[in-house]
Amino acid sequence: MTLWEYVEDRWDLILFETAQHASMVAQCVLVAALLGVLIGVATYRRPRLASLATASSGVLFTVPSLAMLGLLIPALGLGVAPSVTAIVLYALLPIIRNTVVGLQGVDQLVVDAARGIGMSRQRSLTRIELPLAWPVILTGIRVSTQLAMGIGAVAAYVSGPGLGEQIFSGLARLGGANAVNSTLTGTIGVAVLALLFDGCFVLLGKLTRPEGPLSRRLTTGGVRG
Amino acid sequence: MTVSTAVPDETTNPEPRLGRSWHIVLPLLCYLAVGAAMIIYTQSVPLDGIERGSLNLPYIFGRTWEHIQLVFYSTVLVLVVALPLGILLTRGTLRRATPFVLTLVNVGQATPAVGLVVLLAVLFQIGFWTSVAALFAYSLLPTLRNTMVGLQQVDWRLIDAGRGIGMSAARVLFKVELPMAAPVILSGIRTTLVLSVGTASIAAFIGAGGLGDLITTGVSTQRNLVLVTGCVLIAVLALMIDWVGGLAQRVLAPKGLS
Repeated sequence: MTLWEYVEDRWDLILFETAQHASMVAQCVLVAALLGVLIGVATYRRPRLASLATASSGVLFTVPSLAMLGLLIPALGLGVAPSVTAIVLYALLPIIRNTVVGLQGVDQLVVDAARGIGMSRQRSLTRIELPLAWPVILTGIRVSTQLAMGIGAVAAYVSGPGLGEQIFSGLARLGGANAVNSTLTGTIGVAVLALLFDGCFVLLGKLTRPEGPLSRRLTTGGVRG
Repeated sequence: MTVSTAVPDETTNPEPRLGRSWHIVLPLLCYLAVGAAMIIYTQSVPLDGIERGSLNLPYIFGRTWEHIQLVFYSTVLVLVVALPLGILLTRGTLRRATPFVLTLVNVGQATPAVGLVVLLAVLFQIGFWTSVAALFAYSLLPTLRNTMVGLQQVDWRLIDAGRGIGMSAARVLFKVELPMAAPVILSGIRTTLVLSVGTASIAAFIGAGGLGDLITTGVSTQRNLVLVTGCVLIAVLALMIDWVGGLAQRVLAPKGLS
């Protein structure tokens, strides 16, 4: 059976697993983005806390994903819970770091000017600092998404959902019929999905950068110097 | 995708020599303490037959040694291949291929590690050297990428100046370009090391041995202690190797660049 016949034969299942994988990654990254930006916003003005947040995320980041998944099994059992927890944990780290770096990189003069014209701290944060830091934050979310794709594939080992099941069923059928087809389907599927998501982020980045079409219309009404 | 795990701590004020060196070894001591505590704990609690099979000292140290060997062989291969290749791809007419190769590397990094490992196993055979090949293929990319990016971003005026004072192209490469690119290249090598520790634990699925064996045994026999021991030891190993990478970055990077 060729790869093409294999995919055609199991089209429904593969499509389902692809959709599962995409939705798991999207939801986990969304949760991680919300949490990560919140943590970043809460810590960036306090250098000690900020370096604690980035240092501890650096340590967690170094722990291999299989070890993290394994550590979660005794607490959460098998299935969706450990997979989602691990993905969110890993996805948090680049987002926290980039939020802190992005917000700290905003020119202090601009912030002072915003405060000087009477903006409150919250208003300066949401109208000035976050939009200016957004490209950096978005890069963090993009890195997280790529990570989440790969960890999502490993998560099939703890019975997580998604395309990783194709890879592990290939491993289970090692030497048998369709082992190569199944593994290839899973591997290529995840890679294609990762590239698709990455393409979306490139597009989103172009649309939402501070001087980009969307935000220009929102903030300055198209006036350019 | 550039994954950096560097902890921003070099920007603090210079401290007295002793204090500074203590700060450097402190994480390593913590990691060692955690690993030792885990091993001592497994030796002090009563174990059943299955647990005894995986949690005796010779077995644990054997698997750890296999894990280190997997990482060592694949990283040496990466260095032998990626550094010359990265240099070659930024020379002369090949330079035009650089963006193309970088795109290819990015596509390669989108491939999940577990897929690559299993794919090589179903295509060839299971075992240690297949795993080394998978580790090599997967962890090649950060070093190759950073070598090319590092060399690319060297200020061309410095290269011109080097040529202008009569250096040969090779001399400019070794005396100007490589030292200037060293921090970026070293951080790529560090990423390679950390990635290969993680991928090496996945390689247990295809019979490569290593500490991942404790995870697969723990899951398949439902012995959480075996599972947790494997996970903790892999995490400690990864952190220690990352620490060594960080140390190498500090020691090997040319002084006075940053």
